[in-house]
Amino acid sequence: MEVYIGQDKNRSSQSYPDLAEIEVRNLKVRYPGDDRDVLNIEDLIIPKGQTLGIIGSSGAGKTTFLRTIGGFVKPYSGSVTVTNNTRGNIGFIFQNFNLIGRGTVFENVLFGRLGKTSTIKSIFGMFSDRDKDIAFEAIKEVNLTSQIDQRTDTLSGGEMQRVAIARAIAQEAGVILADEPVSNLDPALSHEILDLLVQSSTKHRATLIINLHQPALAKRYVQRIIGLRKGKIVFDKESSLLDNSHLNSIYETEFESSIMFESKN
Amino acid sequence: MRTDYIRSTKSRVNIQRILTFFILIILFFWSSRGADVQPTKLFEGLPRMADFFSRMVPPDTSVAKTVFKSMVETIQIALFGTFLSAIISFFAGILAAENITPRYINRPVKWLLAMLRGIPVILLALLFVSTVGLGPFPGVLAIALHSTGMLGKFYSEAMENAQIGPIEALESAGANFVQKIRFGILSQVAPDLARDTLFRFELNLRESLVLGLVGAGGIGFYILLYIRSFQYEKVATLTLVVLVAVVIIEQISISIRKSLR
Repeated sequence: MEVYIGQDKNRSSQSYPDLAEIEVRNLKVRYPGDDRDVLNIEDLIIPKGQTLGIIGSSGAGKTTFLRTIGGFVKPYSGSVTVTNNTRGNIGFIFQNFNLIGRGTVFENVLFGRLGKTSTIKSIFGMFSDRDKDIAFEAIKEVNLTSQIDQRTDTLSGGEMQRVAIARAIAQEAGVILADEPVSNLDPALSHEILDLLVQSSTKHRATLIINLHQPALAKRYVQRIIGLRKGKIVFDKESSLLDNSHLNSIYETEFESSIMFESKN
Repeated sequence: MRTDYIRSTKSRVNIQRILTFFILIILFFWSSRGADVQPTKLFEGLPRMADFFSRMVPPDTSVAKTVFKSMVETIQIALFGTFLSAIISFFAGILAAENITPRYINRPVKWLLAMLRGIPVILLALLFVSTVGLGPFPGVLAIALHSTGMLGKFYSEAMENAQIGPIEALESAGANFVQKIRFGILSQVAPDLARDTLFRFELNLRESLVLGLVGAGGIGFYILLYIRSFQYEKVATLTLVVLVAVVIIEQISISIRKSLR
């Protein structure tokens, strides 16, 4: 296994390699009543500000890995340490958006401030002016101000994912985890959303980890790529170094180059 | 092999159908015997029914005001009982929801709600009349408690149907337990809760009609009084008032329920 902890030549100014944001040590994850390791990661350091893509077949453990970092899944053994892991420091962006459909764009983004608002005040919707400012700025950043009072269940898929990104921005999250954020979107929208995701996390100096189905998208948008196969890291390099031989070992198949990298435009 | 399989599915389906059919037939005759069903009696009695109705006309409208007043009281009992029940059911529903509380809390609460559902409203009314005396107050208590058995169950089921995804999203945004219930669950299921409550109000309104039979307020008192003293012209007025009030209120409630989303 080749371990890469370094900087991309293009985006080095946004990466802080000395500061480990996420540290994984001897991590094993199992599901209850099953003694197989869904994840088995010995050693992984993700520096602050890095954009990291995770690729691998369905069932390789991509989602489980993100959910373990996000705290939704408890390790069977070993540890995942996230620096400054206070309430709301990890923003999660989901494949199926997971917004509160009956809430407006503004309300959903404002929910990103829940961790910083007292329970009583938040229950009666009494968010501070500062929180509202932050939410508004986040909505501006994802370019949704014209739909700010619209219910999110009336938005398109791309717009819903923008709301989710705005919520993560409003959270002022140090880490943003995106679990296949574009797999429900068409190719053009996928580029739009990934652009936005990478730009915002870079701007706010957040560490970004994205699970992606398409290696071509990973190669294009992230600095570093990790390949998972059956819960283990089988590839870990600067994204530009990913080639077909790696893909074949990650996916255990014979890919033709045209299939994997054609969508680069 | 393939034909064997197809044949076996056929016989399985047929056995199920035949069994269901026979069980229904048996239940039909068993229940009709217990209910002492005698169609001939019904036909023989038709003239007496006509007599009953003929004594109802013309309706005695002199009691319209009294009857109307007590109908309003009935509506108030049903409405306030529903309010009380909604408040209790809200907390009971949270406690009974399997996705919110652990088993050792939600199971007992579910049992308690089932017990409340099992007690007929008229029995609760009798109990509260002997506790707090005659009048609409025991009626309100009876309605509130009886409908909590159903409403608490409906609320908890609505909350259990809330999608986990948005709740997890809020959790990662830093929401605590209370905030997750408020914004993750209640925001999702609020229209369901409102629909359940309105539906329960319609039921409560109809159930409140009989509370007066045991002295627990409302129009039931006059139903009993007029029928016992054979004043069928007054019963006619009363029936009309009840019918119009119930139909109008139900229609309003139904249209509100439909508009919720």
